[in-house]
This record gives sequence, structure tokens and C-alpha cells, in this order.
Amino acid sequence: MIVGDLKPLEEIVAAIKDYKQVLVLGCGSCVTVCLSGGEKEAEQLSRELSQMQHYQGPSPQFEVGSIIRQCEKDLVIENQEIPAGTDAILSLACGAGVQTLADAFEPLPVIPALNTTFLGASDKPGTWTEKCKGCGDCMLIHTGGICPIARCAKSLFNGPCGGSKGGYCEIGQGIPCAWTQIVARLKKMDKLHCYEEINVSKNWKPGGAAGLRRRVRTGLGDGSSADSNKSR
Amino acid sequence: MTYFRVNKDCNGCLACVENCPAAALDFDDQNDGRTLKHNMNKCARCGQCWRVCPQNAIEFQHLLVGQWDEVITLDLIHCRVCGEPLYSPAYGEKVESKINSSNEDLCPKHRQTEAASKLLHPGVAKVILKSGDK
Repeated sequence: MIVGDLKPLEEIVAAIKDYKQVLVLGCGSCVTVCLSGGEKEAEQLSRELSQMQHYQGPSPQFEVGSIIRQCEKDLVIENQEIPAGTDAILSLACGAGVQTLADAFEPLPVIPALNTTFLGASDKPGTWTEKCKGCGDCMLIHTGGICPIARCAKSLFNGPCGGSKGGYCEIGQGIPCAWTQIVARLKKMDKLHCYEEINVSKNWKPGGAAGLRRRVRTGLGDGSSADSNKSR
Repeated sequence: MTYFRVNKDCNGCLACVENCPAAALDFDDQNDGRTLKHNMNKCARCGQCWRVCPQNAIEFQHLLVGQWDEVITLDLIHCRVCGEPLYSPAYGEKVESKINSSNEDLCPKHRQTEAASKLLHPGVAKVILKSGDK
């Protein structure tokens, strides 16, 4: 899932202080599950932002809402009501949701309350770890299901490097060496021959180096890649 | 039937309500009873309730497997030749009023067959031949 972190309160205050009425909008998907941008977090953030001590002048008024997914433009346009008088939206979604709202409700300013952090998974309750870089050309078949691009600090294709010590990465913070994990996994799988094969340099075009990535699935919508709103 | 189910070990401690990140669980205390409430539209099915329940009372598998709810049952008009389901009577009436003509109960395939057989009718064929002569 997409993992996000709430921005520092001072940064959010600085972004909203000049508005009169702000809609604080949570997203009901990834950021709800990782406890950073759901309805509960939107209500909590609204309460914190309502404290007068943050402002030299009058504080904005806050309304709170949440929608199941902020990243679907037609769904947002049809189902998210913007209260009268709203002059800015504070979105607790990932960057995709923030941009979708900005497109849907242009020219209303949409302010991000989160930093979109990584594509990750929950290894244990309450802990999310980065797992995927969205490189567009998955190599997990060669690495025992452990991604060296996302999980090695140097994204090495043929590791480990000399900074691997006792199974941990030289960057510290208890981060495991992805290549030590890969070798251990391949050994358990009886596939150490995969480790002996050289992984050649990667084509990064599918990973976004060739510009905006877009997918059109036939059979859904009008099949065009042009931006258009749902018309009813 | 709710998708969120608990077994007899539930003791109403509200750990699930307090820990639900999607605010999809709530409760009502009335008289001497406590009612646990679940809102499927809010539920992200993240499993946090199931993880934190100290009684192992939450039967989370029902939220993963689910069930089919009957939404609507409609009468349908069928193709009078092959029996293929076509549309509801209301939709048929709507189309008829739009085209200002009665709608034949035929599927696309048998509509074509019907049109071709009309063309092969001698009277109709004669008219076509005459127009072809021109």
C-alpha cells in the first residue's frame, strides 16, 4: 500500500493560515490503514489546527470529511460535497489523491497534509516497511522475492557491497542488508544459482525515466488516454 | 446479515472500536445492554480489529470471503425465437416511446434473420428489383 506521514504541524499551519474556511479531507484507503490520513486523523488534525495559539490573526474555520478514495476523479466529483464558503482543501491523501482533488475542484487550492513516503507492506502490526519502487520491470523472480532496488540502500543489482556487516546495512538504524536477506532466501529455496548469475544493467524507462507513465485498459471508459470528466 | 461477525467470546471490551483506523466500528449502550455496530462502507478491511481483540472473538474471515446480496430481481423480455434475455419491460416501453414505434422482442441475431426473410419475400424482392432497375 501507499504509506504516508503527516507533515509537521508548523508546515501545515503556515500553508493554511491565510484561508478562512478549510475542508480537512481524509482518504479511506491506504492512508487510513497506515494510520496517517483517514477520517480519524482528519478529525484529530482539525482539532489541533483549531487551536488559536497557532495563529497571529483569526484562525480558519474547519470542516472535516472523508471519502473512500481521493484518487478517482469522477468518484470525487460526484460524491464529495464542498461546503459553501470553503476556500481551501487540506488533503490527507497521498500525492495522487491531492492532485486528483486539485483537478476535480480547480481553482480551489488543495494543500497536502501528508508526505507520501513509500510503497510498503506491514510486516507486523503498526510497522510498515518499504518494499517496492514501482520500477516497472520486476526482478523479484531472480532475488528470492526480496527487492534490492527498494530494500538495498544503494539499489545494488549484484550485492552485497562492502558495507554489509553482520547482516545489517552500513547506514545503521537496524536496517537489514537486503542482499544478505536475498542470499539467505535463495539458499532456503535451493536456488543459489540465481545469485551466481549477473543481473545486467536495468532499463529504467519503465520506471518513469521516460516520462509520465499511463495505462489505458480497454473495456473501461471510452478507451482514450485524454483527460475527461465523467459526463452523465 | 452483517459481514462483521463476532463469536460468543466477545465481552464488549471495545478494543476493536477504539483501534479501528477507519472509524467503522461503534457501539450503543442502552438499558443494560451494549450493541456493537459496524459500518461496511467505512470499513477498510485492514484486520486491525481482529489483531487487537483480546478474546479472539472476531471472525474476520467473513469480511474477506463475503457473501452475495440480492440487489434486485427484474422481469425480463426474452427473444421470441431463441429465448435470450433482452431487457426489462420498463426499458422496452422507454425505447418504444423514444422511437415512437413498437419494439419487436428479438435478439440482434434474430432481428437480422427476420429482416433478411422479409427481403426474401417475393413482394418485397420485387420492389427492390424495381428500385435497382432505376
